[in-house]
Amino acid sequence: MPLSRLTTPASGGAPEFPLLRQQSANPPPLPHQAPARPPLQPPPPPLFCFHGDRRRGAGSKHNALWKTCGSGGPPPRSPGAGPSPEWPRSSPGHVQLGRSPQNKARRPRSPTPRPAPSSGVQGSPRPRGPDSPRRPWLAAASPEARDPASRRPPPRKSCAAAPCPQLPTGVAGGGAARERAGARGEVLPGQRAPKMAAPMELFCWSGGWGLPSVDLDSLAVLTYARFTGAPLKVHKITNPWRSPSGTLPALRTSHGEVISVPHRIITHLRKEKYNADYDLSARQGADTLAFMSLLEEKLLPVLIHTFWIDTKNYVEVTRKWYAEAMPFPLNFFLPGRMQRQHMERLQLLCGEHRPENEEELEKELYQEAGECLTLLSQRLGSQKFFFGDAPASLDAFVFSYLALLLQAKLPSGKLPAHLRGLHNLCTYCTHILGIYFPWDGAEVPPPRQPPAGPETEEDPYPRRNQILSVLAGLAAMVGYALLSGIISIQRAAPARDPSIRALGMAEEDEEQ
Amino acid sequence: MCNLPIKVVCRANAEHMSPSGKVPFIHVGNQVVSELGPIVQFVKAKGHCLSDGLDEVQKAEMKAYMELVNNMLLTAELYLQWCDEATVGEITHARYGSPYPWPLNHILAYQKQWEIKRKMRAIGWGNKTLDQVLEDVDQCCQALSQRLGTQPYFFNKQPTELDALVFGHLYTILTTQLTNDELSEKVKNYSNLLAFCRRIEQHYFEERGKGRLS
Repeated sequence: MPLSRLTTPASGGAPEFPLLRQQSANPPPLPHQAPARPPLQPPPPPLFCFHGDRRRGAGSKHNALWKTCGSGGPPPRSPGAGPSPEWPRSSPGHVQLGRSPQNKARRPRSPTPRPAPSSGVQGSPRPRGPDSPRRPWLAAASPEARDPASRRPPPRKSCAAAPCPQLPTGVAGGGAARERAGARGEVLPGQRAPKMAAPMELFCWSGGWGLPSVDLDSLAVLTYARFTGAPLKVHKITNPWRSPSGTLPALRTSHGEVISVPHRIITHLRKEKYNADYDLSARQGADTLAFMSLLEEKLLPVLIHTFWIDTKNYVEVTRKWYAEAMPFPLNFFLPGRMQRQHMERLQLLCGEHRPENEEELEKELYQEAGECLTLLSQRLGSQKFFFGDAPASLDAFVFSYLALLLQAKLPSGKLPAHLRGLHNLCTYCTHILGIYFPWDGAEVPPPRQPPAGPETEEDPYPRRNQILSVLAGLAAMVGYALLSGIISIQRAAPARDPSIRALGMAEEDEEQ
Repeated sequence: MCNLPIKVVCRANAEHMSPSGKVPFIHVGNQVVSELGPIVQFVKAKGHCLSDGLDEVQKAEMKAYMELVNNMLLTAELYLQWCDEATVGEITHARYGSPYPWPLNHILAYQKQWEIKRKMRAIGWGNKTLDQVLEDVDQCCQALSQRLGTQPYFFNKQPTELDALVFGHLYTILTTQLTNDELSEKVKNYSNLLAFCRRIEQHYFEERGKGRLS
């Protein structure tokens, strides 16, 4: 069929598809068109958005907002966590009202507080014009973001429209948030409230092996949140049944809605103006999509295989961690169930046709993954992050894959060895870990190894327990023997008594 | 694109003939190779390669974009064909079961549908609505369109495997008539992709005569 058919609208033969939403009677505004006209459907496609100069006040106070619970309380983040606090944050609750424009320097986390109001006013028209053609990719990249959280009309327009007096907004909106902030323990003067409603809560697997989280998806979402400085209340839990959606990671938005697909979580964060891809050009945005697909196709099966299917790794590392971390009744069956789910997923990903021979399958998988890692390494080159000096969402995903491979002490696996050979990827990982998760390296050790203290102390405990249990056993046996009459001491006692009495009487006689 | 002489043969049991269960596959001498990746490597081993002129970074990008197309476009096509009730009922079942006699056409079609649905669930597309899928396609096309820009092919002057893959998918989307034209509409929004498809079709298919197109 020649393509000349394309010149005529194809609507001649095809009936209007009933499933089409009524709103799509007009095609949604194309991302590369300037979103000048209001979106036709309630969930407006463009999200991206820029803005958000998320400035924060004093770094240390900001940190407390993050509330990473579950790891022995947030350690005083003072100097160690230098870079992280300075991420600017917008007031997502008041998207329409003052948002200072996103500035490039935001990302390198320079702590210089920008004069928010003035830049806001001047800057707000800026992102609209040149950026909208630049960022159509980002605008469209919110496929799943149809949740009701997109109740806000495209913030960009309103931002430009409003003169954006940020201080008054801050005062008005900030009051409520300040109460909340005050409730949380810090008040940042001039800081605008992050949310009108409750803060977003992220439930994810807790940390292990030197990482903030042991699960791939949770780690990616956490890293992205750290990159953008989103004020999330992070709950690190080990019981997936306690998360609001039954699986981890899960994000409870400020409106109570629960999102549990990682890509959707990130899209939601983007909508809330915590966007790490703000500065990417269209081409880089396209590259991001492509590389994420590459990761999912090539690296993900191998990761699943390494952690869940490979017997040695599974028994010694994965299952051990999960069984130790989960609360009592779950640790018996949940790891096994998770393994079965992963196995099924791997089979479906790889295809049913693959050779049944596990070794061949493994070899093929690892070969492709090795190539993928090499490609990533070549793409990264000697840059700090994949797209220059500031981290983007691709960095979050790549980091989560690589960090798991590098940090978990896997007894068997060619891939970590291959990865260690790619030095720029290793430095990349340690760099991100050091900057964005500085205390997590320290969080894990305290419970585990104040210099081998607990470990050495644990030994005497077992010894003591052994001794106590032996004594208890003996006492139980003796007691049982006495009670059941196997041994009886009573006969000896009366025998003794008369003799004692006799002696006593004899003494008395003698005395008398 | 490599100027290799091929003969296209259509068979109803092509899927089952293929060693990996997937079409297309080629039968050369006494070797059977299936799926694009292995076919490309096989052809490369025989000395024809389209991507020789690319440097390492470009090869990485090419692989990444091929994965993107496979990930998004292919899955969206499968979704539309098998998980969208209207299309399934009207077109897919009929088409898939057409070579077989009566009970078999329904059985095989349902079996295939069940398999595809299972796969969708495993990769997380099970809960997506049609609109979300279309959005994904749009996003993918946008990425491709931006990558292509105004160049004649994705990597400037010479066509590569990526061009072949993209052409295959887009051509199929554009020329297959379904109950729902949204998918082709999405692709048509990007004029440079349309021009790209037309250019390849003219250059490689119409020159050699219409008979080549199955």
